[in-house]
Parts: sequence; structure tokens; C-alpha cells
Amino acid sequence: MPPLELLLQQTLNGVMLGVMYALIAVGFTLFFGVLDVIHFSHGDIFMLGAFVGLSTLLGLALVGLRTPLLALPPAFAVAVLVTGLVGVGAERVCVKPLARSSPLMTLLATLSLGLVLRESVLIFYPRGADPKPFPQLLPAGGFEVGGVAVRYENLTILAIGFAAMIGVDLVIRRTRMGAAIRAVAQDPEAAQMMGVNLDRTVDATFFLGSGLAAVAGMLSGFYYGEIHFIMGITGGVIGFSAAAIGGLGNVYGAIVGGLLFGVLQTTAAALIPRGSEFRDVVAFAVVMLFLIFKPSGILGEKSVERV
Amino acid sequence: MSLLEVKGLTVRFGGLVALDGVDVALGEGETLGVIGPNGSGKTTLFNTLTGLYAAAAGEVLFLGQRLSGLETHAIARRGIARTFQSSRLCLELSVFDNILIGMHAHRRTGLLDSLLRRDRLRSEMSQAIERAAHLLSLFNPALPRRGLERVGQLPQIDRRRVEICRALASQPRLVLLDEPSAGMSPEETAQLMKDLQIVREEMPGLSVMVIEHDMFVIEGVSQRVVALSYGRKIAEGSFAAVSARDEVREAYLGGEAARA
Amino acid sequence: MLLVWLAEAVVFALIVAGILAERPLALAAAGVAIVVAGALLRFVAPLRSALVCAFALHPTAALLGGAALALVLPLALRSSPYWTFVATLALLYVTIGQGLNLQIGTAGVINLAGAAFAGLGGYSVGLLTVGAGWPSWLAVAAAPWVAVAVGALLFVPILKTRGHYLALVTIAFVFIFNILMNNLEFTGGPQGIKNIPTLRLGGYAFTARPTLGVVELPAHANFYYAALATAFLATGILRRLHDSWLGLALNTLRDDEIAARCCGVSIAREKLIAFSIGNFFIGLGGALYAVMVGFVSPPDFDFGYSLIMLSVIIIGGVDSIGGVVLGACLLVPLPERFRFLHEYRLLLYGLVIVVMLLFRPRGLWPAGIRRYR
Repeated sequence: MPPLELLLQQTLNGVMLGVMYALIAVGFTLFFGVLDVIHFSHGDIFMLGAFVGLSTLLGLALVGLRTPLLALPPAFAVAVLVTGLVGVGAERVCVKPLARSSPLMTLLATLSLGLVLRESVLIFYPRGADPKPFPQLLPAGGFEVGGVAVRYENLTILAIGFAAMIGVDLVIRRTRMGAAIRAVAQDPEAAQMMGVNLDRTVDATFFLGSGLAAVAGMLSGFYYGEIHFIMGITGGVIGFSAAAIGGLGNVYGAIVGGLLFGVLQTTAAALIPRGSEFRDVVAFAVVMLFLIFKPSGILGEKSVERV
Repeated sequence: MSLLEVKGLTVRFGGLVALDGVDVALGEGETLGVIGPNGSGKTTLFNTLTGLYAAAAGEVLFLGQRLSGLETHAIARRGIARTFQSSRLCLELSVFDNILIGMHAHRRTGLLDSLLRRDRLRSEMSQAIERAAHLLSLFNPALPRRGLERVGQLPQIDRRRVEICRALASQPRLVLLDEPSAGMSPEETAQLMKDLQIVREEMPGLSVMVIEHDMFVIEGVSQRVVALSYGRKIAEGSFAAVSARDEVREAYLGGEAARA
Repeated sequence: MLLVWLAEAVVFALIVAGILAERPLALAAAGVAIVVAGALLRFVAPLRSALVCAFALHPTAALLGGAALALVLPLALRSSPYWTFVATLALLYVTIGQGLNLQIGTAGVINLAGAAFAGLGGYSVGLLTVGAGWPSWLAVAAAPWVAVAVGALLFVPILKTRGHYLALVTIAFVFIFNILMNNLEFTGGPQGIKNIPTLRLGGYAFTARPTLGVVELPAHANFYYAALATAFLATGILRRLHDSWLGLALNTLRDDEIAARCCGVSIAREKLIAFSIGNFFIGLGGALYAVMVGFVSPPDFDFGYSLIMLSVIIIGGVDSIGGVVLGACLLVPLPERFRFLHEYRLLLYGLVIVVMLLFRPRGLWPAGIRRYR
């Protein structure tokens, strides 16, 4: 049994990862909420967010904006905006037109769209095949509490992540658009009869979800110090897993699922021999068990099948 | 001995009691109408009989054997076939495909036959198609010619007929028809009644349970009627007797209307 | 009948010309010829209907003609071992695609772990030959059964989950497979397994260059004929299964599980049969690939290959046996012909699938109606 400090440390690291996963998972769950589809290219949207953020940061550095306070807000803003718009585009091209056909179709179309996004970055981004170093703009240094090392950088990531989640929560619960999203998720036809513009609501949902993925992408750049065109595959699978663990269509479930997945990964890494290599095996195995024995997730899926 | 005996059947969904101690019996060759307002448990009864829902209490005897615990497909193989309120045909498959699947349980050729002894499969399939064509022609002589078209290309009434043919194709002892007239025009409903009478004449030994909202259909086809309300059986007997009962009228029309 | 053979011969000639044309002028001529042929077929209705009619009337002749041309293809390609290899690869994808199509297309069991099952076949061959010293042919014969056996791990999820959840489970399975192959000692880690001995049948090594009379073929032609036989067998078997009670039951449960159950179909039995048969052929394809190239490593079987296998099915036509053949024969060689496109290969696959799903969701060769003949 490893010492308690190690477990605590791994839990903290897990929460760190979990915040990023949760941000991706919220997108999956929102999309499922309004359209009953799984948007498989969402992972690559997350990757794209990281690349847009990186390009913006590099561009800002060129014009002399290198201090975190000056560079970070515009970088996040551009990343969220561009990625959000790409997300809306993906929805219009690939998701919405197929929403009425069999779920297999959307699944295949979005999987392929993800492939297109991934390959586009690989081919069209300068030297896209290599991992790209991500500028380290978050505060360095840290402190220790009871044997657990806490880095300022990580605290900042946590803070930004949670701020984004609270922001989404406010949008969904307090704004007109949020009310429309909730109404459509509950019953699209009734919502339309109550005067909700379905197309606009779906667009807004995809903008919101994709924007969150962009935030997650940038945070992951800061956390790992580099980004790679391939990161969207794992990011997407983990995000979807987290959403499924939490119960598809349930925003809070997605957040809980994301945190759970992160903690699961890091504790598995600490507890089993050669854990860092096999942590994902454990995590994915747990997801499979979850889907088999509790397919509606921890907090429950939104719909039930009728005979 | 009756073909089907349902004793004290109770089904719960969480806290909701969908069926509450329902007793129903059905003899060979009998047609039983099941009536009751929306949410009274009619479809739940069918879903439980076919093993889609599990009963919390009570038992179902079919041909003297207990059905509880059997899986849906096993129950179907014992001779209970059904149709659904909103049709469950495979619209992308052909009319013949949709009917032939009803004969799946009686197939005589296995995997190896389909690979190595093609002639056996072919002769079995051509017999099956002949039978399907015969069933279709009972209702509409033009239908067998459309056997290789996709079901999605047929009009509503013919789809309903294909679904009934699929149920009959399994050579069942009991057929459950869940609101066959749903979504049909008055003319189509009249046509459907004729169809059901054809079934009665062609297969006199077949027992039928039919859920209907259209009292005209119920009166026309059923020998006996059971009325459900809030999961309980509130009346049983001939159509005239049941429809005259106050409880039934109250259940359908609401308390005020019945007293007025 | 003559018309059928003539049409097949023309297609064959165009394909060979398209593949082998090297100089710009020859290439341009081949390209123009293909475009003209395509346009004739597209816009000259009498020609089209005559051809459709001829093929419908003489299916056996069409099949024999196609088989004969497939048999002589290596002769036409004998100057290019590379193209013989590509043609072999396409045939392996036919075998794999037939297996996967039974699962995804016929039964609706969304298996995105195709790469993992092909990998199980390939790695089994590697371990059994290099590790355990089995002869290659025995390892190739045993490998598909390993894929079937390991596939049993997914039996419970297959029955308990559906649609996108099953997709997620199978994606997770490919990832687990890849991480394990990358990190386990006995599978050789990232290097994989090298020096897999080639196939030998009765003392005849597949690395020898076969000679037919006076013509000498490249060594890859051995594998071409092995892959051709396998693809032919796989296609025949899957076609027969599709037009049988199994295919009918699978199609029904794919479209409506509840209706199928109420008709007496055991969902569990039929789905697991379909899944296992599918894995057999996917594993067989992977096993042949391993003996052909002589090594296996994790990147040969990653998630991207699952997507390529899937593209074969979608382009050809979901649930369409002929479509799988067409899809594999288009998708595998085309990017090889246009080497400048090679870099964009996956990008184009992705785009093509999206466009197909939006505008031609049934594929180039849509699944027909079962006729039980």
C-alpha cells in the first residue's frame, strides 16, 4: 500500500486531469441532450482548440504581447470563438442533416469528420506531425502541504477550469438561451411549440460545447507543456467515457464523470506496477464495466425507451 | 382447460402499479377484447404476457405451463405472437422478409445447411415464401406480387396486414393484437374488421386478444370483453354487458359524465 | 453473355492500364479512357440498361469471367511487384470487410475494434511462429480462432449495450489492445514481432517466384493467389449466410430488437454468432497480412485502421456483400496510384465517407433485396 501522501498527491493530479476531461464531457452531454446524438469528432474539436490557442499565443508574442495577463485573455477568447464556430459548422454539415436517420449514420459521419479535422491539422499546420511546445504562461513555483506538492500552475488550471464550468452552469440556468437548451433537451417538439427556435438553440449548444472543449485544449497544453494532433482521439474517447459514466444528457453527471475518470487514471497509475503505462487500460476497463452494469450512468440518462 | 390463464398478475414500475392483480382466462378459438382508457394497463398486459416486462406477482399459464421467467423469444416459440400499437416492421426489408422472420422459430435448416446444402435451404425458403404469399392473399390478393418490395413502400393499411401476417406466420396458438386500428381512417378500420373476420374463419382454432379503442371493432370481433382501469380489471363479459356497466362508463368518461 | 465478358474485359483493361501507365502521355490516355467509359455508362441509357440486363441474366457467367480476370491479373501486373502487393492488400481488405460487414452492416453490432481483431490474428501468427515455433500455415489456420476466442471478452458488452455505447466499448477495446501490445514484454513492445517466417505449403515457400510456363511472376503473386482464394471463400460464405435464416434474423434484430424477440429470435444467440463469425474473418485477414509482410507492430493495428475498414463498408454499401468487394478494390489501390495524394489519404477517406453518408448513404453498391436463390 503506497503512503497516504502519494494517494493524496495522485488524487490532486487526478482532479487536475479530471477538470479537463469534464470540460470535454460537458460538450458530449449537451449535444446528446439537444439532438440525441454522439458527436464523435468532439475530441478533435478539443485538439483544434488547443492548436488555435497556440497559434494565437504565438501571434500575440510576435506583436510583443508576452505577459500572461495581456496574452491569456485574448488567446482564450480567440480559441473559444474559432473553435465554437468550427463546432457549429461540424454540426451543420455532419450532425444535424443526419439527426433523423439511424444513429449509426451520425456516428460514422462524425467519426470521419474527426478524421478530417485530425488529418487537416497534421497536413496543414506547419510541421503538424511533431508535438508542439506550448508556451508556459501560467505562474511557476508552488508550496507543500502535508507532503503534497501543490504547484501554482496547477491551481491556475483548476481555477480556470472551474470558472468555465460555473460559467456554463450560469448560462444554462440563468439565460434565455440556457432555458431554450433545457427545453429542447426535455422535449424538442414541445419546446418548438413554446416558441423556441430549434436551429438557433442547437447552434448555440454546439458553440457552447465546442468553446468549452477549446478551454480544455488550452489547459491541456499548459498542463503537459505540449500539444499534438493526435491528442483528440484519446481526449474524445475519455470525454465520451466521462459523459457516459455520468449519464448522457446530464451536465453535472458529465462533470462528476470527468473528475472520476481523472482520479481513476492517476490512482491506477500509483497503485499498479508500471502504472503509468497501464493506467489507461484500467480506466477503459472500468468504463466498459460501467457501461455494462450501469448503462444509464451515475446520475441517470435523460430518456427511456418505450415499447 | 383454457389456453391461457392469467392469475393475480401484478406489474410495478418503481412506485407505480401498472397492473394490479389481474385475472384473465381465454379458451381455444376465442377472441377476447381488452378495453380501457389510456394508461389503464392494456399494453402492459401484452408486454408482460410476451415477457418484455417482468411481473412482480401472479402467474401466467399457457397450455398449462408457467411462462414466468421465460425470455421473450422463448415465449414466442411456445405459440404467442403479437402486433404492436405503432407498427414495428423493418421498413428497409422486403415484405417477404418481414413475414418470413415470423417463421424463424420453425426453421429446419441450420448454419451448415445454408453453407453446404444450399438446395435444402432453397426448398425451405420457397415453401416459406409460398406460405407468406398465401397469408398475404387472404387480405389483399394484390399484395403477394409486392412481396419483394420494401415494406416502407406500402400504404399504412397494407403494412398493418403485413404485421398481422408476420404474427400468423409463426403458427401461433394465441395472437395479441395491440390496437390494430391505430392511425387508420374509418374506411380502413372497416376494412381491418373484415380482415380480422377472415382470420377467424381461416384459423378457427386460433385464440385472439385484441386491444382496441374503437368500440365498433371490439363489438364486431370479440366474443367476450375485459375492461381495465388503473391496472385493475373492472368488468368482464359480453360487450353489451360490459359497456353497460357504470364503472366502465365512468372509467371512460370520467365521474361527472357517468353520473349525469 | 458475350456482352458481360466484354464489359468485364474492358473494365479489366482500363484498370490495368490505369495502374501501369507510367509516362504522362500513357497516363493521360488511360485517364481519358476511364472517364469516357464512365461517362458512356452514366449518360447513354441504352448501354447501361443493356449491361444491367446482361449481368442480371447471366450471373454465373459474370462470376466466372470476373474470377478468370482476377486469376490473370498478376500476369498483367508482373512487371510490378509493388502493384501485386497492393492488389493482395485489397483482397485482404475484402476478407476483413466481409467479416466486419456481417457485424456492422447485417447485425448492426457496431464494432470499431476491427483493427484489434485483425491485430489479434496478426500477433497470433507472430507469437505462434517466432515464439512457439509452429509452421506458418498452422499458425495462420489457428490465428482466426484466437480472434474469435478473445472476442468472447466482448460478449457481455455486445449483449448489454447498443449503438453509441457499444461503439465506445469497442473503441476502448482497440485502445486497450494497443496499449497492451506496446507495453507487454512477450509481444515485443513497440518493436513488435519481426522475422515471421513466410508461408510454406508442401515444401513450396511463398518467397519463391512462381513461374507459369515461360512467364515468371513476382513473389508476391503467391500471396495474391492465397488472398484471392481467401477473399473468394469469405465472400461466398458471407453471401450464403446473408441469404439465409441467419442474415434475415440479423437484419430484423438490427432494425428492431423487440420485434425480433417477439418473433422468437434469440438476440443473444444470433448476435454472438454474427460477432464471432465476423471476428474469424477479420482475424484471418490480419493473419495473412502478418505472414505476407513478415512482421507485426502496434501501429499496424491502431484505431485508424478500424476507420479504414469501416470506410470500405460505407463506400461499398452497408450490408452489401458486393459492396464490400467494390469498396476494398477502390479504397485500397486508389491512394497508391496517386502517390501525391498519399499524404492526404486519410483526409480524403474521411471526406469521402462524410460526402457518401450525406448524399449516398447506401453506398456505391447498395444492398439489394434478399431473393433466397
